[in-house]
Amino acid sequence: MPPLIVVDNVSRVFTSGARIVNALERISFEIQTGEFISIVGPSGCGKSTLLKIISGLLPASSGKVAVNGDLVINPLENVGMVFQAPVLLKWRSVLGNILLPVEFAKLDLPSHVEKARALIKLVGLEGFEEMYPHELSGGMQQRTSLCRALVTDPQLLLMDEPFGALDAMTRDELDLELLRLWEEKKKTVIFVTHSIQEAVFLSDHVFVMSARPGRLLEMLSMDLPRPRTLEMMSSPKFGEYTLKIRGLLSAGGGATEVIAGSTA
Amino acid sequence: MKPSTSNIIEPILFFLALLILWEILVEVIKVPAFILPPPRDLWLAFIGKLPILGHHALITFIEAFGGFALSLLLGIGFAIAVVYSRHLNNTVYPLIVILYAMPKSAFAPLMVIWVGYGLFSKIAIAFLVAFFPVVVNTVVGLKEVEPELLELARINRGSQFDVFKKIRLPNSLPYMFAGIKVAIVLSVTGAIVAEFVAANEGLGYLVLQANYSLDTAFALVILLTLAVLSLGLFWLVEIVQRKLAPWSAAVRQVEGSF
Ligand SMILES: Nc1ncnc2c1ncn2[C@@H]1O[C@H](COP(=O)(O)OP(=O)(O)OP(=O)(O)O)[C@@H](O)[C@H]1O
Ligand SMILES: [Mg+2]
Repeated sequence: MPPLIVVDNVSRVFTSGARIVNALERISFEIQTGEFISIVGPSGCGKSTLLKIISGLLPASSGKVAVNGDLVINPLENVGMVFQAPVLLKWRSVLGNILLPVEFAKLDLPSHVEKARALIKLVGLEGFEEMYPHELSGGMQQRTSLCRALVTDPQLLLMDEPFGALDAMTRDELDLELLRLWEEKKKTVIFVTHSIQEAVFLSDHVFVMSARPGRLLEMLSMDLPRPRTLEMMSSPKFGEYTLKIRGLLSAGGGATEVIAGSTA
Repeated sequence: MKPSTSNIIEPILFFLALLILWEILVEVIKVPAFILPPPRDLWLAFIGKLPILGHHALITFIEAFGGFALSLLLGIGFAIAVVYSRHLNNTVYPLIVILYAMPKSAFAPLMVIWVGYGLFSKIAIAFLVAFFPVVVNTVVGLKEVEPELLELARINRGSQFDVFKKIRLPNSLPYMFAGIKVAIVLSVTGAIVAEFVAANEGLGYLVLQANYSLDTAFALVILLTLAVLSLGLFWLVEIVQRKLAPWSAAVRQVEGSF
């Protein structure tokens, strides 16, 4: 099968005034349909920038990105996005927030209300449909944001440190839920995280990036059985992988900025 | 935050105590009535001149509310135009900011020349004073949208109009109301100042008359009436806000000036 995503020699330069920032330098990789990819790297190495370039929200300075064989020029259509903060509309209920993309895309509302309700059930938000964001915990807000990303049934899910602001236990819980969703719905996921353990736990492959200018240091395959369980975190192989990634990151300069996984 | 009975009783007791203290002090120190009349005199003045007070209060209300309504209409419309038009944002908005920094009430004498002696010059000043807080706050509210929400809209091919209707406008409501609350109080001030300059009606005119005849009790009654008027209007806005934007309990505001 041809790869779903091809990133070919992508660089990105930001100029703000006289200052020039080389955010990304000659990044190349391929992602197959259905894979779970994590990206780790020191703060400011261009992870968010990379996600934005893949989604077509931001143009690359050079190089190209193709999804499904098509060059990405405009924002992708079939993509779900989850951000570090839930960014919900304060004036909308859980259900209303989840349906926002449906309304933007002018899709059929009734059938998507059904989909939204099914997702709400899947992430354990049943009974909270009519609650407003300020009545929800951080974890519940991020669950809502996850449902919002999934409601249009996108093939590709881009997640930028989605659970970074949550406590370790809630994060574990949501990681497990995400894996369940991913296995059930056969999505392709690109997941940015600061937590090495979270990356190892979730992914088929972990992409390790260097400090600015962001380069791809290594792509590591996580050869761990699925479905993943929290117990696997104490397996020798798991420890080996986290150690390897940590080593790469400190060699790449910027290890101090990487928060070692809080999932331990 | 719970509305307990002590939250209601305490201020009432405090104000009662204040009134009694006032009465006693005036009696004991023997302050001349034209400097500080006892509360009793205020009450008598209020009862005795109620019809006059009512008439002039109505005039001031019409001026203030007219200016305020105009500032809402034009202020919100203008804010939207500025946010959506780069040209307006580059040309007219800086002009607005310069005007904003001027003492608007100083326009009152000019306004008499421009618009005349009657009601409209007062409405114009009330409008001028109320316009800026509405514009400035609404512009901020329309602009300060989380960028992720705009990305979400772009990914899902949301129209400009949908972004306005579903994100920018509701996002601006708390800011807008913060501005509106400043505006409604300022519009009363604006009307009064305009009446000071040139008028034969209204509470501003009336308070000058009371001053000329050294009727301090009545002057104080008029000031209290103004406070009640401002507070009433403020609460009205508060009620509308609770209905229209219940999520916007407290948002910082860009302050207004007059
Ligand atoms: N719009 C922009 N204008 C100018 N510089 C930018 C812009 N966006 C990002 N940068 C710069 O590009 C670099 C990479 O930013 P990016 O947000 O992609 O990093 P990141 O890896 O996501 O960091 P973090 O882990 O802290 O979220 C940073 O140095 C940042 O200052
Ligand atoms: Mg980032």
